[in-house]
Amino acid sequence: MAKKDISRQKKFDTRIDFTPMVDMNMLLITFFMLCTTMIKSQTLQISLPTNEKVEQQDQNKVKQSEAITIVIDGKLSPDSLSLASNGMLYYYDGKPDVEKNNMKQIKFGAGEGTIRQILSERNSEVLTRINEQKARWKKGEISDEQYQEEAKKIRNNDELKRPVVMIKATANASYADVVNVLDEMQINNISRYQIERMSHVDSVMMMKLQGKPIK
Amino acid sequence: MGKVKIKRKDTRIDMTAMSDVTVLLLTFFMLTSTFLQKEPVTVITPPSVSEEKVPDEKLMSVLVGQDGKVFISLTGTKDSTLKSEKFRADVLKNAVGYYNQMYKTPINLTQKELDAFSKIGTFGVPLGALKKWLDLPTDERDAALKTAGIPITRNEDPDKPNEFQIWIKSVYAAMEDNGIGSDMDSGTGIAIKADQSTPYDKVEVVMDNLQTMKHNKFSLMTALKKEED
Repeated sequence: MAKKDISRQKKFDTRIDFTPMVDMNMLLITFFMLCTTMIKSQTLQISLPTNEKVEQQDQNKVKQSEAITIVIDGKLSPDSLSLASNGMLYYYDGKPDVEKNNMKQIKFGAGEGTIRQILSERNSEVLTRINEQKARWKKGEISDEQYQEEAKKIRNNDELKRPVVMIKATANASYADVVNVLDEMQINNISRYQIERMSHVDSVMMMKLQGKPIK
Repeated sequence: MGKVKIKRKDTRIDMTAMSDVTVLLLTFFMLTSTFLQKEPVTVITPPSVSEEKVPDEKLMSVLVGQDGKVFISLTGTKDSTLKSEKFRADVLKNAVGYYNQMYKTPINLTQKELDAFSKIGTFGVPLGALKKWLDLPTDERDAALKTAGIPITRNEDPDKPNEFQIWIKSVYAAMEDNGIGSDMDSGTGIAIKADQSTPYDKVEVVMDNLQTMKHNKFSLMTALKKEED
């Protein structure tokens, strides 16, 4: 009797089923994988002029023919916050002209009559050269680093006609709208742009355009 | 004779190897992942096409909530040059020093309060209320932080800094003392993290304050967006 008991104990399967363990591990891995990839956010490098007065005078030396001013005015309704870039956008070339009001309204986004089209027209000399390099890079003639280097050289080439963009935003504009406009600079390879404060003339022109009474 | 023996096959697969692999992967992901920091305000950054990554060391990020509340979070170096804990403690010492020079009611922090501060990722209470805030238990501290925020006003006089500017000055001094100030000069060391629906004038005040403190290069934190064309 005792002997039989021992033999039965020997037959007992010692293996443990690892399936639930694997299930749980997979779940945890998925969690960590998603967490790690989602977390890294991007940055947009910008540099602003200093607040000192000396620099302020230098800024005004920008050639009028190259200058383009973009004014962002927010029109965000509270329920459409998810839709960034529905702020109102205006632009004018060169000097502001209150009499003639050379400010025009413009749309965000890509395609006809958008800010992107206007900017790419202004920056066409740079863009065509960069596209040439881009084609070479796509064909594999130059490496990625070489392409970046060339693009940087072209962007900062003083001999080419490059626009200087002044970005101004009213208090109504949302941060997303401003980033959106800064993005357009990246897309159109514009190397010279700056963020400025709204001047009185800008506000007057904008209100005229919107048909608001001027205080 | 001629009897075909059908082998009774075990249908169960041995999961031990599989388990080994998954545990290994799990360990890898656990070690490499950086966890989301607890932030007093939820911020959804606006999308942009920029592909530059946020540095994960030597960074001061300025958090701007939807209502314009400002918080700062600090990250030191990965190596022992300036650990986050030491970085924060140094910054606090500097800030308290500057504050005590300017105001008649000096702040005196105990070592315990300094230690508590060095473990906090994101801070943002007025300096006058800092001591009281650090004495709170951890969970109450988080709740109190939500309604606080660093006092910030438009100020273009670097000799009379507001509290936000005191912090900027302290952070820069702490980085300079440890030889990593160049990161802040080049703009990679300062990041503004604002919500996409934050009114622009709130962000502009922060930028203006940074400009006043002669930090006119910085980065804006954004989320990735695919280029449409």
